[in-house]
Amino acid sequence: MTTRRTIIKQGALGAATLATSTAMPWRMLRAQAKPVKIAVIAPLSGPWARQGTLIKWGAETAANEINAGGGIKAMGGAKIELVLIDAGDSAEKAKNAAQRLIAQEPDVVAGMGAWLSTFTLAITEVTERAQLPWITLSYADSITDRGFKYVFQSSMPAGKQSVETLPTVLNLAKAATGKLPQSVGVIGDNTASPTAFLKPMREGGLQKAGLKVLFDETYTPPLSDATPLIQKVRSGRPEFLLWVSTTISDLKLGLEKMNEFRLAKGVVPVISNGAHLGMPEVLKNLPADLIEGLMYSVANHQVKGQDRINDAYGKHSGEPWITQDGLAGYGHTWIFKEALEKAGVADRVKLNEEIHKLDLTSGPAADSFPGGVKFDAAGRRTNAIVCIVQWQNGKPLTVYPTDRAMAAPKWPKTS
Amino acid sequence: MDDLYWHLVDFLQAFAAGLLVGGTYGLMCVGLGIIFGVMRVVNFAHGDFMMLGMYAAFYLVTGFGVLAFLGPYAGPIAGAVLAGPIVFAIGWLLHKFLISRVTGARVVAAEAEGHYAQIILTLGIALVLANGGLILFGSTPLSVQTPLSRESWEIGPVFLNQARAVGFIMAVICALGLYLFLTRTNLGKALRAAADNPTAAAYVGIDVDRAHRLAFGLGVGITGVAGGLFAMSQSFQPYIGFDFVIVMYAGVVLGGMGSILGAFWGGLTIGLVQQMSTLILPYQLQNTAIFVVFLVIVFFRPQGMFGRVWERT
Repeated sequence: MTTRRTIIKQGALGAATLATSTAMPWRMLRAQAKPVKIAVIAPLSGPWARQGTLIKWGAETAANEINAGGGIKAMGGAKIELVLIDAGDSAEKAKNAAQRLIAQEPDVVAGMGAWLSTFTLAITEVTERAQLPWITLSYADSITDRGFKYVFQSSMPAGKQSVETLPTVLNLAKAATGKLPQSVGVIGDNTASPTAFLKPMREGGLQKAGLKVLFDETYTPPLSDATPLIQKVRSGRPEFLLWVSTTISDLKLGLEKMNEFRLAKGVVPVISNGAHLGMPEVLKNLPADLIEGLMYSVANHQVKGQDRINDAYGKHSGEPWITQDGLAGYGHTWIFKEALEKAGVADRVKLNEEIHKLDLTSGPAADSFPGGVKFDAAGRRTNAIVCIVQWQNGKPLTVYPTDRAMAAPKWPKTS
Repeated sequence: MDDLYWHLVDFLQAFAAGLLVGGTYGLMCVGLGIIFGVMRVVNFAHGDFMMLGMYAAFYLVTGFGVLAFLGPYAGPIAGAVLAGPIVFAIGWLLHKFLISRVTGARVVAAEAEGHYAQIILTLGIALVLANGGLILFGSTPLSVQTPLSRESWEIGPVFLNQARAVGFIMAVICALGLYLFLTRTNLGKALRAAADNPTAAAYVGIDVDRAHRLAFGLGVGITGVAGGLFAMSQSFQPYIGFDFVIVMYAGVVLGGMGSILGAFWGGLTIGLVQQMSTLILPYQLQNTAIFVVFLVIVFFRPQGMFGRVWERT
């Protein structure tokens, strides 16, 4: 029989059930905090699409790790959501991509990109006005020379890389041959990064190091043929060649021409700069014996202690080894994660302050960048070091800094 | 004395490089010469057909290894030759379903002979081919690896790159063969008639659309061979076509509209100017030098080097 007491009991039970059932999704909603959006503007089409893809894979590897590990704990386990935008093949398109990002994704709290210094310079003009913290791997000194507050540069700027590279290379030569080289030939393309890298050397750095500059040529990439350039090497016979280019195509033309002129394989050692020189596809364009011994400086490359990052990246991307681009995508995402943990809110200004305060010496972000993660007021990583990498037995191996090197450097003794 | 010797070697080496690179440029220009110079079709996708030729050669030689049995010397050469028919077939199909809408008898009475529509359509095709290539082939730079590209024949102090030299010889053979086909065979004469006056050609029983289709296929096929030859020396990715399309147009106009051999000479001249200008100008001005020489030539000969007087630039 249904009594009033029974009705009250059933009502109370119903209310309790209702309360429980509504409380469950509420708790779940709290657990699934709003994702934190991080932008990746990189060239995903055009001639630099490959480099952009490597950055993307690095960022995805890190985002997957962070999300699998419980997201941003200070924000209720908020997941990282990457917003991928194509920078295209020109500074104009890159700038448009940044404007589109600001207009269409108001929730984005930070971003990274866009590989080529020329693109980064254009993009950061837009992101700075939007007070959007932006980290880049691009080399040009001018990126952090403009007094911007929201731009961070994880690589050592090109001008400083140049200053660091030269004495290291000369010491390697001396250790191997017993004397310092006396002459050098310089070839560089006229894009922003090689120009910035070669500037301190051209402005007296080479002479100060006791080197006689036999020729100094600048060209517009891509080359159609390297004959006139390598003919300079043939007639001048410098003790080593400083050749800074931004395309694999030019590298192939140059090294094959040197082989044709009997100048390759250590006859005239080649020193260069740039992450593209260590990409796996170099071997799809040049035989291993021709690239053997090529030495180049780069802002970041796989060093001792990065096996875990390399493995995770390899599993995600299928790439045989990680290079600067993958490390940047991975490391930048982890830097944002660490700063978000401190900020506790998805706020651009607060996040920017926390990035400036970071001083990371361990963990995935610090592991990605030898020297750790700490930025100065201008946005430059204070402990950034330059890596010197050399192709040995078909692999680009870090040979400097010595304490993190994967192999000992070799200087050809035939020069 | 030593300085004089090296100046002479520099000159001879730059001349040799210009000649060899120019030969392959010449072949590219011959391909465009048929389409733009003879058939008067503006094709902004021409560089992208060259890109297809590069990938066709790559997959025949390295990717699928169909020609691997020929070895690292003959394989890449055969790959370049076979890239021609593959690109011809793609060009034929594209013409049949798209480009025929804006060329041939259909546009005789259209404004500017259909050139506006041709520009828009071929620019669209160029974008689709480049971005489709990115999806299909990926962004990794590739090349057809062969010892030919890193070995040379020596004539005194001058080195002749083997891949470029083979490319030059093949380019000359292809250009001459095409010239003879267009001037000595009935089919070739029909193509020229269909281009010169589509209405009159139709009256004498020439299938104008088919003639245009054949010419378009031949033009892009020849450029596909040039792409296959370039693929031996240079790395490429799906966007490489754009780097060459301006050079191709300059070569065709320089040689003279309507002249196949003129287009070849135009390409050859561009190669020579590009390489030899470095003897006196900074390397950064290589491409500027091309267009300065281009302007000088069309100033004195508006019809180009081998063009007809009434066909001025």
